Amino acid sequence: MKFSEDPRIRVGRRCLALAWLYYSIYLLALMVFSYVFGTTPRFLGLPGWVAIGNIVVPVIFVAALIVVAEKLIPDIPLSGSDETSEEVE
Amino acid sequence: MNAATASFLAYTAILIAIGLWSYRIVEKVPIAKYEQEFYAAGRGLGGVVVAMIIAGGLASAGTFIAGPGMTYEYGYSWVLINNFQIFMNLMLLAPIGIIVGIVARRVNAITYLDLFRARYQSKAIVVVLAILVTVFLLPYMATQFVGAARVISQMTGMGYFASLALGSLVVLVYCVLGGMRGTSIATLLQGIVITVGCIVLFIGTVHYAGGFERSTEILASQDLKFLSPTRNGEFPPAFAFSIACLSGYFVVGMPHAMLGALTYKNTKALKRGIWMGAILVLLWTLLLCVAGVIGRSIKPDLAVSDEICPWLAMHVVPEALGGIVLAGIVAGIQTTVAAMAIIITSSLARNLLKELKPGISGSAVKSASRLTMGACLAIAMALALLQPPLIQWIIFFSIGGLEAATFGPILLGMFWKRGNKWGALASISWGMIIYALGNTLAPQVGLLGTHPSLVSVVSAVILYVVVSLVTPEPREEVAHTFWGKPVEA
Repeated sequence: MKFSEDPRIRVGRRCLALAWLYYSIYLLALMVFSYVFGTTPRFLGLPGWVAIGNIVVPVIFVAALIVVAEKLIPDIPLSGSDETSEEVE
Repeated sequence: MNAATASFLAYTAILIAIGLWSYRIVEKVPIAKYEQEFYAAGRGLGGVVVAMIIAGGLASAGTFIAGPGMTYEYGYSWVLINNFQIFMNLMLLAPIGIIVGIVARRVNAITYLDLFRARYQSKAIVVVLAILVTVFLLPYMATQFVGAARVISQMTGMGYFASLALGSLVVLVYCVLGGMRGTSIATLLQGIVITVGCIVLFIGTVHYAGGFERSTEILASQDLKFLSPTRNGEFPPAFAFSIACLSGYFVVGMPHAMLGALTYKNTKALKRGIWMGAILVLLWTLLLCVAGVIGRSIKPDLAVSDEICPWLAMHVVPEALGGIVLAGIVAGIQTTVAAMAIIITSSLARNLLKELKPGISGSAVKSASRLTMGACLAIAMALALLQPPLIQWIIFFSIGGLEAATFGPILLGMFWKRGNKWGALASISWGMIIYALGNTLAPQVGLLGTHPSLVSVVSAVILYVVVSLVTPEPREEVAHTFWGKPVEA
């Protein structure tokens, strides 16, 4: 039998790359803002690195994830044939 | 009986009712479909439940008790470290969710080890992993019970043993009777209770402390280290990065997280599970961990740091709301225990039993499933009687061990056709040996101050690749089952 790859597997690989890239950017932003910003000045009464790096940055990334997940991960059927038709919930 | 105790008992009664109701549903399922219903809830869970199962499963007492305990002990440096876990759902469902969803339906895999069986076609791997999952998850479960018992004890004034029994027996009821169906319904309720509890506790704590400014001033006067991102070098960036790997990149190696990937209904549910999970974990982590640090400015002399959350719940919010907060904390712990109970039971009662007794009947597996689950929970409760101090380090130990053993075989196994059972066995064995050495005889395994899991996982992955390349390729049918469709030549 000749091997023919299911096109849905490519979607799986793209999702792997997307997740690792997104998390890496988040990690970079979190660490840069946390280690570079310093404890002063204060924002909202908190040390600057806490307010910006650990509250603002995570909130922005979580909000952006809604768009990223909904737009960049396609709807594909998980059972039956490997057609790339939309799946109805 | 105070208002806090009354609201907690009401929450517990609802969980027991869910367990009994789920039992009626599961019992109506024909024996041929029983395992799929008991372990995977018929593979029909929507996005909200999937989000809560993964988030609630991974965000354990480590988030609800130990996270605030660590921020109380070490200051804002641990808020940063806890923030690495916010994208756990993304790092599980996006990398392997789709391929697990496709393959699980093809090979009718309803447990974590069914996937390993189909991919590596090796009895040895299934047996070894069933044992490792049990060995690492049982103490992890025990720490969850410890956390729950401490919370209930503080709230009700009951002794530790009675609190342990109250917090854990209810999990026993809805897990053993309702399986994954009962767990998923309970998790939905618990997710709501946890989120409301976290918000109430955070607002109450900030208000009681007189605002952020006042709290920061007090912390600075106590010790400036509380305001440092590294605690003046005690937790360097290299250590923080290794924890980010543990709770981010390597999270696919967590067996109980795999439940979400095995049970989601379709890709719409998967996507919602990803972003809803991130919102939930963000709220739980940030609100509780910041409350933990601020708690230091309110009550600087707690003997056991892990008790800061229960203490705040009983002192900074009105009594009835305090009950909701504590129910939320206990709920967060119970969701983790339930997910672990399902994974251990499926590993032993389905996979290990079927490897050792291939012809076993469906009704025998059904009885074995409930007996095994009851026994595992009882053992974890017995271990919880030991009452360890800061439980976060035990949690990291268990997570690191599981990821060292399974990260390479699961991630590469899902994407790399050339990976084989020899590579997987070598990777599991090597990961375990290096991890054990790093935690005992050779702490220098933690290079540059990193957690020993980092070197264990990375070196185990390298070994997986090398050994797979020098040993025979897997059978052709594996590639067809996992990544392709048969086409006539």
